[in-house]
Order: sequence, then C-alpha cells, then structure tokens
Amino acid sequence: MIKTNSQSTAIPASYNLGLTLIAFLLLVLALGATVFYWVSVTSIQEVQMGLNGEVSLILALLNNTGIILPALVIGVSLWMIVTAFQMLRGNAEAVRWAGIILFWMTVFALVLGVFTLFQQSAGNDLLGIKTDWGRGVSAALPLLILGIPTGLASWWMSRNSDLIGRNQTITNRNARMAWNLLIPTIAILIIVAARPLEKTFITSLTDKRFGSADPVSFVGLDNYTRLLGFRLDTVSCRLNDDGTCLLDASGGIRWELVDREVLRAGYRPISNIPLGGDRALTLSGTDSDFLTSIGNTLYFTFFSVSLELLLGLFIALVVNSEFKGRGLMRAVMLIPWAIPTVVSARLWELMLRDNQSGIINKLLVDLHVIDQSQAWLTNTNLQLNALIMVDVWKTTSFMALLLLAGLQLIPSDLYEAASVDGANRWVQFKSITLPLLRPVIGIALIFRTLDALRVFDVFNVLLGRQKLSMATYNYEVLIQNQQGGYASAVSVIIFILISIFTFLYIRSVRIEAQ
Amino acid sequence: MTPEKRSLSKILGRVGFYLLIVAIILFSLFPFYWALNSSFKGEQELFEPASYLPRNFTPVNYQSVFSNGNFMQALFNSAWVSAAVVLLSLVVGAFAAYALGRLQFRGRTAMMYIVLAMTMFPQISILSGLFTIVREVGVYGSPLSLILSYPIFTLPFTVWVLTSFFKGLPDEIEQAALVDGATSFQTFYMIMLPLTAPALVTTGLLAFISAWNEYLYALTFTLTTPSSQTVPVAIAQFNGTIARQEPIAEVMAAAMVVTLPLIILVVVFQKRIVAGLTAGAVKG
Repeated sequence: MIKTNSQSTAIPASYNLGLTLIAFLLLVLALGATVFYWVSVTSIQEVQMGLNGEVSLILALLNNTGIILPALVIGVSLWMIVTAFQMLRGNAEAVRWAGIILFWMTVFALVLGVFTLFQQSAGNDLLGIKTDWGRGVSAALPLLILGIPTGLASWWMSRNSDLIGRNQTITNRNARMAWNLLIPTIAILIIVAARPLEKTFITSLTDKRFGSADPVSFVGLDNYTRLLGFRLDTVSCRLNDDGTCLLDASGGIRWELVDREVLRAGYRPISNIPLGGDRALTLSGTDSDFLTSIGNTLYFTFFSVSLELLLGLFIALVVNSEFKGRGLMRAVMLIPWAIPTVVSARLWELMLRDNQSGIINKLLVDLHVIDQSQAWLTNTNLQLNALIMVDVWKTTSFMALLLLAGLQLIPSDLYEAASVDGANRWVQFKSITLPLLRPVIGIALIFRTLDALRVFDVFNVLLGRQKLSMATYNYEVLIQNQQGGYASAVSVIIFILISIFTFLYIRSVRIEAQ
Repeated sequence: MTPEKRSLSKILGRVGFYLLIVAIILFSLFPFYWALNSSFKGEQELFEPASYLPRNFTPVNYQSVFSNGNFMQALFNSAWVSAAVVLLSLVVGAFAAYALGRLQFRGRTAMMYIVLAMTMFPQISILSGLFTIVREVGVYGSPLSLILSYPIFTLPFTVWVLTSFFKGLPDEIEQAALVDGATSFQTFYMIMLPLTAPALVTTGLLAFISAWNEYLYALTFTLTTPSSQTVPVAIAQFNGTIARQEPIAEVMAAAMVVTLPLIILVVVFQKRIVAGLTAGAVKG
C-alpha cells in the first residue's frame, strides 16, 4: 500500500486506491507483454527448430527477431516493473512517468490495432477484392482491448494531474516533457531505420535468397570477401610481328589477358593501369561488376561535385550583387532542384538523343563545338559524362543557393574597408570571401558528396544496366537477382562508406550543448 | 579617369552583369523550356531535327496523358502518399523539435547528433532490410509500404529544420506563459506551435517535394503493382504501355503535369524554401 510520506512530493492519500490499481496494471502489462512477445517469437518455425536443437537457436533468433526489438521489449517491461514498485512505495516522480508510459501504450495499442485491422482484413490480397473484416477484427481486438485499461488509467491520471503533478522541479518537468515529446519520433526511427538497418547487417552474413525455400544459413564474411576480393597482376602488351606493342583503333595499347589460373580462381579483369613501356598492372576482382560500380560512382561523384562547386560559386557570386528581380532569380534557380530527378532524367534522355533530333547535339554542332552528333547515352566513353551533365544541371543551383546564404552572412563593411585600402575585386575575393566562405563550402561539399555517392535515379533511368552505380548495382542484385544476403552486404558497404562522410559532416556542424 | 569614361565602364559592367544573369537563367530554364516545347510537338516531329518551337502545335499529348488511367492513378497515389507522410512528419516532428529546441534535458545533444546523422541516412543501405520487413508486414506492393518507409528521410529533416526555428523564438514568451500557469504542453501547443506556423509550412513543403520526387523505394516496392505506383515510377516506366513506339512527347507532357505544381509552389514560396533549405544544411 502507498505510504503517505512527509516529503513535499507526497501524494494525497485519496489517490491511494487509483494509484495502487495503476501500479498493478503496469505490472500486469509488463509481464503480459514479455510473455506475449515470447509466445509470438517461439511460434516462428525456425525458432522452434532452434528450440528442438535442429538448428542453432542463437542464429535462428538473430535471423528472425534481431537484437533491437527483444531488447526494447525487455527494457520497457523492466522499466515498467521498476516504476510500478516505486509507485507502490509512494514515489511521486514514478507516478508521473507512469502517466507517460500509460499514455503512449494506449496510443501504440490503438495505432497497432488499427493497422492490424486493415492489414489482416486485406490479407495478402492487395487489390482489396477479398477483404475479410472478420479476420481483421479478430486479430486487432486484443490490441484494441488492451488500449481500454491503459486509456482509462492515463485519462484518470491526466484528469488529476494538478494534484499528482504539483510541487515538481522545472528540470524534472522539462526532462519528462522532452522525452514524452520525443517518444513518437524515436519509435518511428526505430521502426523505419534502426530495425531495417539491423536486418540488413544480419542478412549480409547469410546466403538468403528471396523466393527460395532453402533454409538460410550463416556464411560469415563470405559475401564481403566476394564483393571486395581483388588482385593486381602485371601483364605485358600484345606484340605485333615486328615486336612493337599492338595498338587498338583508338590508339591505346592492347594488353595480354591475366594468367588463366587467376581467371579460374574467379577473378575477372576490370582495368589496366599502364606502368610505362610494355608493362601494365591489371586490376581484377571476384565481383568485377561491384568494383566497377564503385569506380563509376567515385568518378561521377568527383567530377559532378567539383563542377557543381565551381559553377555554383560563380553563380552565387553573380547573384549576390544587388539588382532588381533577385527574388525571381532565386525562384528560377530553384526550378531545376524542384523537378523530380526521374523527370529531369527523362528530359535529358530526349535532349541527349544521338542524332540531330537531340537538341544538345544540334546545339553543339551548330556552334561547331563538335563535328558530328555524339551517342551520349550509348557510347561507353561518354555515358558517365552525360550523367554528370544531367546532375550538374539539376544541383548546381542548389549549391549556388547554399553558398549564397553563406555569402550573405559576410558583413559588407569588410569589403568597404578593403576597397578603401585599394584592394581590387580579385584580392577581395581571395582574402575575404574565400576564407569566410570556407565553412559553408565545406558543408555544401560534404552534403553534395553524400548525395552523389548514393546516386540512383539518373543511373537507373538513363543507363539501366549498361553502367551501374553502387546504388543501382545494389538494386539489381536485390530485385533482379533476388540475392538478399549478397545485396545486404553491398548495402552495408555503402552504409559504411557514407557513414564516414556523415561523420565528417557532423563534425563540421557544431551543435552547441547549452 | 574622366567622368565620361567611368560611367561608360560602369554601363559596360552593368551590361556584362545582366548578360551573365541571362546566361544563368538560360542554363536553369532551358531544359525545362525544352520539355514544354517537346510536349506540344507531335510524336513524329520529335524524330526530325530539333526545332526551337513546335512546327505543328498540338495539345494531343496532354489529352492522352489526362486520359491515361495509370498516370492519373499515379498522380492520385503520389498526392495522398506525400500528404500523409508530410502530415505524419510534421505532427511527430514538431513534438520532437520543440523538445530539442526549447527544453533542457540530459541526452539532448546526443539526440541532436542522431537526428542530424539521420538526415544524411543513405536510403539505399536499408533497402534490403526494409524490403524484407515490408514483405513480412504484408504491405509490399501497396502505397502503405511507402508511407511506412518515407519517414526515414522526411522525419529527421523535419525535426532538424523545425528545431532551428524553435531555437530562434525568444525565451520571454515561454516564461510569460509559465507565469500565467500554463503547463509545458499547453505552452507548446497553444503558444509556441502557432508561432512556428510559417516554419511548418516551409518544412511541410520541402518534405512534400522530397516525398513527391522519391524514386528508389517507390520503384522497389510497387514495381509489380501499377495501381500503387507513384508519379516518378509511372514516368520512368512510361514507355512500353503503348506498344508502338516510345511515347516521348507524352512523357514530356506528363512531366509538365507533374512539375508545374512544384514550380508554382517554388515561385510562390521561394524565400521560405531557401530559408528552410539553408537552415537544414548550413546553420548548425
């Protein structure tokens, strides 16, 4: 029973019955949730096989439930139990936390209940022809019923909040309020990000295939070694009859293939790096497609981001001056950014046609930049450059707007002082603009690099499978080849690569920890 | 330098400057103009050498786009999926942003870093995990799968931008409310939230554009169910529905239909959008 103590946080005795009931409700809910979760986990076929010792139990659990969700269930249950006992001992702070727990449990029960209702009613039939509301209701009913006592309890607590919530410190109140407000965001981020990411990491260690009935088994780091396996061999050039190196149509040296043993071991040549003279280094990899896609992505990233930076800086400097219609100008610059990437890709597909019906060819030929129409999207030497062109068009103005925002933070009296000192525009740019803009440039660069590294849309629409970026390679392996495990390993590699840049980005943005 | 010479060089500089401005406008708008131009051309004309104006002006592409059931369905899907995602992100995001922007508590900085890191989250890297989960939950092929997955990029962004707006509000308002005996939640809901209405509009708009333009998840989860597809997927898959030839003029007309609302929004809200974008990217 609740003891009324003499502290200032004491709760009036008239609430004893209600609070005792709520404490017991918490205990029941905590135990119920754990038991319910355990039952639903053990009803998974693979886990049952694990319990019977047919497969490894730990791996079966890892594969089906992961770590985050069980940890969450256990953690929340323990917290509820602790809170319940603290309530019984008359701790006012615990009572307030209990209110939060009950409120959010009600919300989650209702949300989950409504979702289950629709999901189970529709079954696997997405067209909605065989909607079976009976099945939906029976599946959702336990959740909806669960919402009733928690809802009642949290309603009762909020109605009496003036008594329960009095005499608390602002710090405690703010902290509780903050976590209260953060709970939905945290829950959504766990569902849409943390859990899928965990699943990707775990799956990347398996040989899972979608649409295959074979049991999934753990293969350790095999997927990674196959993806990243590479070797370098020296080769000599192919010889003419007179002992000189054989040249191909475009004047490059033709190199010998690597040793047959290398090919037999699963390596496929990717590119030759000339060492000078008649020798070259051949790079070959166990998954030449993936290594090539890394190369393509890095090439694309490097050139598109540097071009965007130079052009964007130029545009920002021009637009930064005072002139009529600056607002309209900003709107114009936003348009390429607002157009969906897929739309801009299809648009450039038309503009980059390989004959005179493609405006880029017509324009360039008319201006005598090129002699004849180029096959921008089918010539393997031009494809990446064409994509860089598309990306530069789409994002340069975005870059320019970011830099413009940075430029406008530079106080104008700096320039006035400099021009009084007789510094010309170039000197002003070098000694004022560039140093002061450097943080913004750094952030914009990292921002764009991250975007470019995960490029998917333009590659997918314009090149399909002809040339792959890391992201389109990942997509092909996952969706076309249905190789879940292998694709997950690709995902993890991309994740790690991008995390490095994210880390750099975060370090450059300081969050003041007041 | 004589005064005449100075004013001459000034005029020349001015002319050069406006030439540059015109060049930037051309660079930004020409591809867009080209799509507009092509969308009024006949299918046949697109295979002739390119012309800067349609030789035979025809609205036929727009007629067939608006009578294309799949495309109209896609427009509808895109609209309600994006609206639902934005609504969810704004409601949930405003809560979190208020906590991060106005309240002091242990773990705040850590949460800020997590949110910031999440704004950079590579969508591709959870594709396979999400693919499995979406199939397990049973929403694969339905627009629900998109509502389930889009918060991964809209929510952290919304939280981050709104946090910076909340931080910018003066402290006095809150203190006055507290003195008047408002609870924390009342302060948030009745005083602070209305003040951030402009920021909510901006952030919602930006989130809407990113959801409207999203392609990777839409392609992965709705490739096999045309009735659930969103606009980007529909436009990417446009060829093939009419077997004869690739209807590129129609694609351009469809592109115009999809892009025009965005462009109107951008022109109307350009100031706020730029503020929102730079708050999300440049300011800490």
